[in-house]
Amino acid sequence: MVNTVTELTSDRAAGAPTGRDTGPKLTRLQQIGNSKYLGLYLLVPAGIFVLMFFLIPVILTGVFGFTNMSTSTGITGGSYVVSRSSMQALEDRHDLGEIADQINQIVYTIDEAGLLAAGQSGVAANTLRELSSKFSGNNFEGRREIERAIKNLDARPANTRAIKALAKYFERSVLNTRFDSKEEFLAAIDGFGVSLTPEQQDALIDVSYTGWVFTADNFKRMISLPDTKKTLLNTLFYVFTTLILFNVGFALVLAISTHYMDSGPSGFFRSIWLLPRITPPVLYVLMWKWLAWDTGFISAILGPFGVEPKNWLLDSPANAWTFIILINGMVGASMGMLIFSSAIKAIPTSLFYASEVDGATRGQQIRHIILPQLRFPILFITSYQTLSLMTSFEYILLATEGGPGGATEVWALSTYFKALNNYAGALEYGYGAALALVLVVVGVVLSVAYLKLFDFKTLTAPPKIE
Amino acid sequence: MTGNYRKWPMILFLGIMTAPIILMYFYLFVDTVTNSPPGSLIPNEVTGEHWRFLWETIPGRPSIWLATWNTFLFASITTLIVLVISSAAGYSLSRLNMPARSFFLGGIMVLHAFPTVTLLIAIFLILQMVGLYNTLSGVIMVKASLELPFGIWIMKGFYDTVPWEIEMAGIQDGATRFQVWTKLVLPNVKPAIMALGIFSFLAGWSEFILPLVLAPGNNVQVLSVYLAALIADDTNFDMALFKSVGVFYVIPVIILFVFFQNRLMNIYSGGNKG
Repeated sequence: MVNTVTELTSDRAAGAPTGRDTGPKLTRLQQIGNSKYLGLYLLVPAGIFVLMFFLIPVILTGVFGFTNMSTSTGITGGSYVVSRSSMQALEDRHDLGEIADQINQIVYTIDEAGLLAAGQSGVAANTLRELSSKFSGNNFEGRREIERAIKNLDARPANTRAIKALAKYFERSVLNTRFDSKEEFLAAIDGFGVSLTPEQQDALIDVSYTGWVFTADNFKRMISLPDTKKTLLNTLFYVFTTLILFNVGFALVLAISTHYMDSGPSGFFRSIWLLPRITPPVLYVLMWKWLAWDTGFISAILGPFGVEPKNWLLDSPANAWTFIILINGMVGASMGMLIFSSAIKAIPTSLFYASEVDGATRGQQIRHIILPQLRFPILFITSYQTLSLMTSFEYILLATEGGPGGATEVWALSTYFKALNNYAGALEYGYGAALALVLVVVGVVLSVAYLKLFDFKTLTAPPKIE
Repeated sequence: MTGNYRKWPMILFLGIMTAPIILMYFYLFVDTVTNSPPGSLIPNEVTGEHWRFLWETIPGRPSIWLATWNTFLFASITTLIVLVISSAAGYSLSRLNMPARSFFLGGIMVLHAFPTVTLLIAIFLILQMVGLYNTLSGVIMVKASLELPFGIWIMKGFYDTVPWEIEMAGIQDGATRFQVWTKLVLPNVKPAIMALGIFSFLAGWSEFILPLVLAPGNNVQVLSVYLAALIADDTNFDMALFKSVGVFYVIPVIILFVFFQNRLMNIYSGGNKG
């Protein structure tokens, strides 16, 4: 038994979870094989959450990206409405001006509903009776005609105002009436006296539906808008500058320089550089704002030198970018610092001693001992942080809101502005989802590429706390 | 090991680079209890007036205590969900032989790096449809889900370090795998659970985008949204007030960080912030 246990342990250590059902001695161990259902049960809660808030949202992002969903269409179904603008659209888009004119008209129909409503509001019963017997079911093209007809009744109302009021009860129009279903809507149009061919019906439904519909316009629009290109360039600039200067560059400087220090100062610097990471983003950016605002630190320091106080964060695109990169870089540097530091710690100290005996300068040590060891961690940080920088927008949102004038608007931020928050209040969920979909595709491609590129299981070797 | 080299140039260089951070934190605390004349950085009086938001509700804002309570609920319930679910799922992925294990592991890795912003629009619409928009429970579930892949991955890593002999001994004594997990393995990863718990709590306490988008209402506002709204309000510009609210907000973070720095350092190196 002891043997099997060791065998199993070494099997596991070699990372081959299924390679144990060989050999005749394993009767006792088969019990472990039964654990496969326990494993699935333990995964169920995680699975439910992941399904609800990862998989379904990803799929829905894909679906919404192909719709024109927005605040004006609503997120559930819409209704059918004839309005001035939809009739204009019918004329412009489908060249059905005549039909639009017909639907736009107001007609007067003597029907039960009108008679009833008029009776309830106190119009004399004999007037209505005569109206009903003479004109029931008749249509009048305009207000004048029906008023003339009422005036010619024997039991006509006393004055002109009453005649006008009576006519009003028979006014029929499909304008601005909401219909919940297509059938109801078409029946109403038909009852209104406008008969349509199926093609015309489709056109009418197309212009008068207020809910969202499937469309590929988002992507056409994305390609055609000059903003897209600008946002894309902003994103590339932001990601690579921050990455090279801070997330990799300065992280290397921090890791290497603290390596050459005594544990006192090196621990001090490492803790300080973790502060930006643990400080809540809202507060962290507030501190930068204090530094940059016109009553803040930079202005106060430069004041005596005759520099006008100004908001350094937003006064020009160049300054805004400087701050954005500093703000993100100081947060990003700490992750590289931690990973590089532990990689340097793994280098045998004897190498350093030997090189010093041989007279190596510090530069030579860094170049020939440290950097070759860091090749893999650098590759990892680069790829990992590319993805996370590309999709992060929290700090930019808090610091500049993409300003001045959209100069610092990156792709993720523009997604957020389009779909979830803008000054106009017209949120374009569909277009935002299409923008997000681009990030989804890039994200999935990059993640899968990383999975292939690195042996993730050993690389992100879980932090061994304790 | 560096006997040949002078140390002070490095210290000086890093000192200069680090100065802005130290400066910002120094003035963060100083400005909350002092007043400085305009255009000067040297305080001329000590005052407690910037902290009056603690007993006077700022007009148009919810009470700071309500926001604090909401933040606490948000962070702690999220943490609880993450801990319970990821310790189960992590164990299952680390130790149990089940179908499609490597598929789940790869999936967790991809999700771990998955951009939140891409899910946000769909989640926003889903919460609106099911009526959980502007509720704490909705945003708690979302935050917990987004933390899960990271939590599961970390927990799996911790379980990997527990010696198999412990479990084998348990099985030999006739325990089921479930009993082995709850009675033998979980006590062994207690420090890990604690570290993940602190990490999740801090992540929840600091979270800004999710509550901003999914629960911005006054009744369910958390401190990050409260502070951001305060700063964004142009009619009421008071940097010392902002900083005081900020210090009030960050105190729990600093306390946890000071006490658990070493544990957190390890977990942050696997963290997922830009």
